[in-house]
Amino acid sequence: MNKEILNQIPAEEKPAASKLNSTAEMMQVSPTFRWNLEAQLMDAYKTKEQPAQSWYTKLVAPVSWAVLAVLGVFALSWTLRSLVPSLAPASRTTPTPVATFEANVRAGNVCKGPLAVAHDFSVARTNQNKTGFVILDEQQAIGELRSMTWSPDGRQLAIVGNTTGSGNIYLTDSANNSLKPVLSNPELGYLWDAAWSQDGKQLLAWSFQNNTTVYLMNADGTGSLEKKLNLQIFATPQFTPDNQSIIFYGTDSTSSGLFEASLDGAQVKLISALMEDEGGYAWSPDGSQLTYMEMDRTTGEARLTLEAVNRGSKTVIATLPIPKGSGSSIPEVANLSWSRDGKNLVFDFGRGATDHAIYLAHADGTGLVKLLDSAYAPAISSDENCLAYISDKQVFLLDLTSKNATPLLLADLPSGRSIAGFKLDKLQWGSEASLKP
Amino acid sequence: MTTHMNIKTQYPAMDDVRLAQQARTDPEAFAELYHRHLTGVYRYHLAHTGNLKDAEDLTSQTFMSALEGIVSYRGTGSYIAWLMGIASRKRSRFFRGNKPQVPLDAALQIPTPDLPTEKAAFLRLQMDQVLGALKHLSPDRAEALILCFFSELSFAEAGLVLGKSEAAVKMLISRGLQDLRTRTSLALEVDYE
Repeated sequence: MNKEILNQIPAEEKPAASKLNSTAEMMQVSPTFRWNLEAQLMDAYKTKEQPAQSWYTKLVAPVSWAVLAVLGVFALSWTLRSLVPSLAPASRTTPTPVATFEANVRAGNVCKGPLAVAHDFSVARTNQNKTGFVILDEQQAIGELRSMTWSPDGRQLAIVGNTTGSGNIYLTDSANNSLKPVLSNPELGYLWDAAWSQDGKQLLAWSFQNNTTVYLMNADGTGSLEKKLNLQIFATPQFTPDNQSIIFYGTDSTSSGLFEASLDGAQVKLISALMEDEGGYAWSPDGSQLTYMEMDRTTGEARLTLEAVNRGSKTVIATLPIPKGSGSSIPEVANLSWSRDGKNLVFDFGRGATDHAIYLAHADGTGLVKLLDSAYAPAISSDENCLAYISDKQVFLLDLTSKNATPLLLADLPSGRSIAGFKLDKLQWGSEASLKP
Repeated sequence: MTTHMNIKTQYPAMDDVRLAQQARTDPEAFAELYHRHLTGVYRYHLAHTGNLKDAEDLTSQTFMSALEGIVSYRGTGSYIAWLMGIASRKRSRFFRGNKPQVPLDAALQIPTPDLPTEKAAFLRLQMDQVLGALKHLSPDRAEALILCFFSELSFAEAGLVLGKSEAAVKMLISRGLQDLRTRTSLALEVDYE
């Protein structure tokens, strides 16, 4: 059995896990089948290596398929247009001049503040005039990048990475792009994430190996305290506004979903069992409201829910359809975040790694707008007039003040080291203040 | 003429990605990949179909497609995730065009010639029970459990196949196990001694 999985299964689930494991071990491939398939594959390999047919024979089939495909597209297009004469375009296709917006971006009049990007094991931030990215870890000290997050005032970027045997946290200097190490501790294991307290004075980290424990420390890495939780964290802990508790995506012995747990271990509350995605919850900038996306398979609805913390009231501000019933796989929501003025939320929603669309929801519940197709990792700038996002391995900026804006290509995603199976694409804006010493 | 692949590996230390790149021109490298992943692919298909013949057929199709497509594997992602992606597409096509009509317990056979009758019957019962329970879960949870428990993929590798993050896969596993415990009698059965 996969040890990674076995080690992380709570005691309550071990009987079922053991049953799955023992059943899997029963499934032995018969020697005859193994032998026959080997032989078939070897024969097929040899056939593949035979001299190819003439160029004419090789061309006939692909050309025929291409012609058929083109004809099929024309036929489908004609049918669709005749059936749906006024199909509205899902994405922004109306070309409008981008020059003014671009000039304002370069001059620093709009899209203010640095944009940080994490891609593979690289972390970078925009240069002064936003014509590209500056890699923050040229020396590759961070190791395997796991997360990055700006402090609440947007002046310092906390970066979590792991080198062999040691979890590390670095901070960017507010005046330049140098990295300042604040934590390097092999005893904490493989660090997964870090979160800032609301006052920016503390950091909270947790490790993949021991995900029932969090480590609380001062922002300079001193005074580390270990806090035991009776729950497993799966992703993205965030401090509550009073800094006394954290919310996170995880599981206890009976339920999974979005939890709140006090750091003294005394109180645990399941906020929503219908939360299915790690990137589907966020505090409002003033800390008065928590928003999260609930996936209700019974009603076939994804509900963007707003919870007013002091009043204890819940409001659904937007819904999206998902497949109804337990018999279907559902889309995922990711990168839910607020604009700094607390008026709008953005998130991406879809299936698979790249088939996502970006939505903007008004926090007062007055509307949900699909902004872009085939795009993800949205983030609204601190001046609220600019949306950064990723599409096709490039980072774009969209003018939110114009109804038919053409996206501005900022730069390609930074290319860097990675390992097979690792994927981290994230954008986050710092504040304009972080550019000033 | 049929030639069998060399079972004794020449590549004990080579990782999958490098082997897959070498397999474009080297049949022995492909053979090594086949040996490493045959069981995982086979168990994946058997867990989904509950039928030995279908599982063998889909496993053959998966490796034949992998052989055809090995030149298109760029080595930029996990090989096992790429292979299980092929297996997943074969499985989807199978269920779209060929809804199983045979009850699971009748279709399920386990080759257990060396086992006592009682033990073999117990194994058949357990596999019937487990695969039946998996069918009561939502497909994404069942798929995550099958990829991680039957094909032994890591969370990250399963995430690549499912198009989800590691954390999302962990959640699917957690919810899937909870469903098995609370909605089926899977965890309550007594194991055969």
